[in-house]
Amino acid sequence: MTTTQSTGTRAPQRPVKASADELIDVAFTVNGTPVSVQVPARMHLADALRTNLGLSGTHLGCEHGVCGMCTVLIDGDAARACLVFAVQAEGTEVVTVEGLGTQESQHPLQQAFSHHHALQCGFCTPGFLMSSYDLLANGDGEVSPETLPEEMSGVICRCTGYRGILAAVADVAETHPDGIPEPMNCAPRTLVGRGGAAHASGGAPAGSPEDAVEQEPTELIRPTGTPTITVEVTRQLASPVEDVWAVMDDIDRLARCLPGAEMTADLGGDRYRGRAKVALGPVRLKFDGLAQITERDPGDHTLALIAQGADTGGNRTAADIVLRATPGDDGTVLVAEAKVFLSGRIAQFGRALAGDVSQRMFEQFADAVDRTARTGTAPEVGAGPSALRIGLQAVGAGLRRRAALVVSAIRDRRRRRQES
Amino acid sequence: MKPAPFAYVRPATLDDAVAELAATDGDGKVLAGGQSLVPVLAMRLGRPGTLVDINGVAGLDTIDRRGPALRIGATTRQRQVERSPAAADVPLLGLALPFVGHRELRSRGTVCGSLAHADPGAELPAVAACLGATLEVVGTSGRRTLPAAEFFQGAMSTAVGMDEVLAAVEFPVARPGEGFGFAEIARRHGDFALAGVVTRVLVTGSAVAEAVISGFGVSDRAVTRDVTDLVRSAVGQPDLEAALRPGAEELARDVVDTAGDAHGSQGYRRRLFAVLAARELARAYRRSTGAPA
Repeated sequence: MTTTQSTGTRAPQRPVKASADELIDVAFTVNGTPVSVQVPARMHLADALRTNLGLSGTHLGCEHGVCGMCTVLIDGDAARACLVFAVQAEGTEVVTVEGLGTQESQHPLQQAFSHHHALQCGFCTPGFLMSSYDLLANGDGEVSPETLPEEMSGVICRCTGYRGILAAVADVAETHPDGIPEPMNCAPRTLVGRGGAAHASGGAPAGSPEDAVEQEPTELIRPTGTPTITVEVTRQLASPVEDVWAVMDDIDRLARCLPGAEMTADLGGDRYRGRAKVALGPVRLKFDGLAQITERDPGDHTLALIAQGADTGGNRTAADIVLRATPGDDGTVLVAEAKVFLSGRIAQFGRALAGDVSQRMFEQFADAVDRTARTGTAPEVGAGPSALRIGLQAVGAGLRRRAALVVSAIRDRRRRRQES
Repeated sequence: MKPAPFAYVRPATLDDAVAELAATDGDGKVLAGGQSLVPVLAMRLGRPGTLVDINGVAGLDTIDRRGPALRIGATTRQRQVERSPAAADVPLLGLALPFVGHRELRSRGTVCGSLAHADPGAELPAVAACLGATLEVVGTSGRRTLPAAEFFQGAMSTAVGMDEVLAAVEFPVARPGEGFGFAEIARRHGDFALAGVVTRVLVTGSAVAEAVISGFGVSDRAVTRDVTDLVRSAVGQPDLEAALRPGAEELARDVVDTAGDAHGSQGYRRRLFAVLAARELARAYRRSTGAPA
């Protein structure tokens, strides 16, 4: 049996090909009015609504899809206007809070928000109104006190409005059991953008400072406080401990064992400058940084170092690392312990990911040390297809040290994976 | 939070999309729903030179029943799947989708996009892993299909090449005597899970024929284990969930190897996994026998 259900409700969008600095014509409908804007590809829909069309009722909070301030309806469903590029709105019907009602003729949701005092500062109100409209218009009609908080969890209020908000939405659901009225202010009219042509052509200038400024750390400080991640990895290597130590003791070869990493300068006093690339799905980071060896014990085959790095986007990483090689039953046991400190957006993004990535990096690093110990030859900088392909072209000064970081319980992992 | 500038291409066919991706020489990314990709761009953790928007390709936004499988196209939104009567044949989708972000994200987010992004804490990759879904990838060298076990290769890493697009996924539909469970613990609804489980139990006659669990948020990808023996040994005990607990705890030590973070230590995640695993395996068994869940 084959049944096909195309979920599309409108014609496919026309083909487009535009360079990064080109403006793209986009035609869509906003609150019942056909509009046409010229935008750069990277401008999100909320900016186009606010800047090009003057519809500043759609608010912007976090601009990465967390806070819900910019919630609008796209083809009838609530969506984050900061996570949709304006160019993607081609052919769609967008409804903003301005389309919901007017001061004189408010939508029942707006009346209920007013009645229940469902706002204090009001910044989140447009987002809550559009999200609750979507819930009541598109849901299955049942709204229970138990599920309502979760249903409304896509928008955040920061000044204690939740009780009023939930009461308002529950009230409208109860008074409109057969569905709530459509948006009441969606009729063709003239929309006038603010700021004229200069603004209408789009978001932040292409060469914002973040694109240009190279940050180059100059001082190395031992990180303190609570680490973002604490990692400990144990890896069995086939090479004898003396061969492994020979690699550990040669910073140039050791650095090359980290995929994507490169030592760029020997600053003397066991201080080094380097850089590294991290690629993880769509995430691509380039770090410049410093490393300093703080302890080198040939007897104990132990190497301690601190490292720090920064990228041009304000992400910072620092690490306090100990590498220890001990003779094993059949080669060498290489243990890495590290305290890793992350700040900037990478820290927000990280969750447990950073630790897991570090673990993968260390696996590759340890294998490369083993290979180098056996062949005497360091791998080419950043070369060699990694076992994880794009997963882990790791790291340099800062992040590359994270490689050395990593987690415990690595021992049986590969074997288990193969069995599973 | 403005993305760095990028070139934008919206081709009309899948072949053109693949050709455009190949032309970027590894500097391109596919844009479908964008609900995972755009935050990465906004935070400038990624700066691809070109985005290839596949929303202009006709025929990718489909939900098809193809014999024993439900096929979902690359641009089909998660919310469209939630609303689709055909998708009810894959009960795990209905159990898991409400936990994928928020309504507002599912309006735009695609099922295939979530799989291609392969976040280790995401729900849908675990559903694909537990069901043994098949993923269809199209590239310059043609079309290939991969089982979920080969598709997911690590945190946010998949077998999709730089010049390839995940075109569709096929989930096996539920068989008679098959029951499912799903649960996750997140700090807030819509967040990525601290730990979560997807379970599937197949009963033929009165015997447990298959039992599978996939954990997510617990390693660098969804981790899948055959737990047929565990469930068989526990069935018949007066309290099935309690009987499953020791085995689930042992399983947790095996599969939960993610590092702890500010939101939960490794030990805490192991405990979450063990509790959820026993509960949802028991629930899947009850559902497989037609008992109340």
